[in-house]
Amino acid sequence: MKCAWIGGLLLGSLLLASPQDSDNNINSRYTVETVILSGKGWTTDLQSETTTKISTDLLHDLTALIGQKLNPSHLDTLAQNLKKELSAREVIHRIVRGDVPEQVRVEFEVRPARASLGMNVTQFLYNSKQGFSGSGEAALTSGPQVFALGLVSNGDWLPERFSGVVARYEDRSLGTGRLSVKFEAETFHTQWNQATVAAMDTNPLDVPALYRARQAFQPTATLVLFRPLTITVGARIERFEDQGPAGQIAGANAAIADLHYHRSLEGSGIQQDFDADCSLHSATRALNSDYVYSLRTAGVRYQYRHGKHVVLDNVWGGYITGLAPLSDRFVLGNAEYLRGWNKYEIDPLGGNRAISNSVEYHYGPLQVFYDTGAIWDESQPIVARHSVGLGLRESVFSLAVAIPIRAGRVEPIFMMGILP
Amino acid sequence: MAEPSRGLQISRRSWLIAGLLAPLFPARAADSLIVTFDGDNLHISSLGIHFLQGKSLNRLKDGSTVEYVATVGLYRDQFATQFKRSERHFFLSYDVWGSGDVFAVSTPGPPQRRAANLSLSAAETWCLEHMPVATTGLARDEQFWLELELRTVPPKLSSILGPGGIHVDLLDALTPGSDERQIFRRGPMRLVDFVVTRQRGRAG
Repeated sequence: MKCAWIGGLLLGSLLLASPQDSDNNINSRYTVETVILSGKGWTTDLQSETTTKISTDLLHDLTALIGQKLNPSHLDTLAQNLKKELSAREVIHRIVRGDVPEQVRVEFEVRPARASLGMNVTQFLYNSKQGFSGSGEAALTSGPQVFALGLVSNGDWLPERFSGVVARYEDRSLGTGRLSVKFEAETFHTQWNQATVAAMDTNPLDVPALYRARQAFQPTATLVLFRPLTITVGARIERFEDQGPAGQIAGANAAIADLHYHRSLEGSGIQQDFDADCSLHSATRALNSDYVYSLRTAGVRYQYRHGKHVVLDNVWGGYITGLAPLSDRFVLGNAEYLRGWNKYEIDPLGGNRAISNSVEYHYGPLQVFYDTGAIWDESQPIVARHSVGLGLRESVFSLAVAIPIRAGRVEPIFMMGILP
Repeated sequence: MAEPSRGLQISRRSWLIAGLLAPLFPARAADSLIVTFDGDNLHISSLGIHFLQGKSLNRLKDGSTVEYVATVGLYRDQFATQFKRSERHFFLSYDVWGSGDVFAVSTPGPPQRRAANLSLSAAETWCLEHMPVATTGLARDEQFWLELELRTVPPKLSSILGPGGIHVDLLDALTPGSDERQIFRRGPMRLVDFVVTRQRGRAG
């Protein structure tokens, strides 16, 4: 709990520390007339045009500058995000006179990529019930090509804590730019919670065996079918080292297919984003898989943003037929789904059926949320659970207290860290 | 035929180390620094000092805020034993709607001080005028050396935050601009050698 307080104070100071730059830059008294993005052979004036080169979130952040007083320190952040999304060598921002006195144009110049070496911390999370989770990587980027090597220790996503090394190669733009490919390899050592081990002892037949380590290789290709719709196809080849003294190896070889749809609507200061995903993982004997199962998930996420007000709803569900390895079974009661509940208390072995819904309201960095969900196995009764929470979120920093709604006692869970 | 460096007993490794360390010690000629004394404090004149230049000046003219840290150190010997250190932060910006090349400067408070509509040289002068160095503890006939270091502050944490987490570009971080750090030195001096006036006296 001491860690939680220290982390809370640290994060609070980060959230509350207002950038001094807007006070110190003489140009902060001027109003932004327009934002212009330019690169090699292209220019987009965001006052009158839009672009699909960048994500809708980043596009929204950029267009939100128009009509507001200039905040020069925010431009550094936006330039850095543009650099990352466009895999650019450098993104330079300039403030130049607008057409009207006391108004300025903000210009972002995107310079083509060269090789760059970066360090990324993609997740760092503390959960008062499940401890620390984190992942980071060193990435070498050359144009659309990325090679990354990273370390992971995660006790949040799955029924297990997995720690190990991941390597990734991807080419984000092949041929016409509509196709990208990715090859991921990972090797993890696994640790099991006492609750999981105990549950396995009482119910050993319905779920596969515990394992001490697993390795996976996953090649995928993503094709933009038409602009808001993409399809990803590939395979996941995974092997598990049994925890028993014999250390037997079992394989789970699956074909995978994911569809993703994204639509963004904007007007009158209101932005609406709609995302839908569905995926299928199918492991069969034909693929020389020891585990034979089929995993299907589907999710819809809607976000409404007006000024500092953001409302979002995220509904997700999935089911597994056949016998899937524990790492593929669903988990609720983590930092993303049914926050506030302890996953080891709900279902220490994970489930093969799950459904979840989260409603969130944000006002600036303040957030409140209400989560509901159920996780079960095919033969079990469905028990719906609910939780509420509140916290702060600024950029990727998050601090939240979530409380499961149940009779008898109140046991809040504290979560803080970096969540993309 | 022997390599010239072999004859001079300078190994390739020494050349390499010297080459790598050279940018870390951008000390300027001592004679360019003019120091004055008003009876209580030492002041550094901006005459001969032009730190608003190169990459930082380009950043300013692109509308960014550039934070400078000015540090004055007093030494009892030739820049080895420091006995007094004074540090000030200055935020500079360039007014894109100003008439001509005009700059604004401010210091973090309290009390916050600021000035606007300054020419380039006036902005440099304003910074140096706002960092007097108290001479308490320094005997009037004691020799001392003075070092002024001016450096820009690297980008803040916010610029490394992205939608995917925290990202640090190692190549950017390891290749700062050549004008990011400047050092000016003067010495030896003694307080007794200064002509003290209320308007500040000039050494020697």
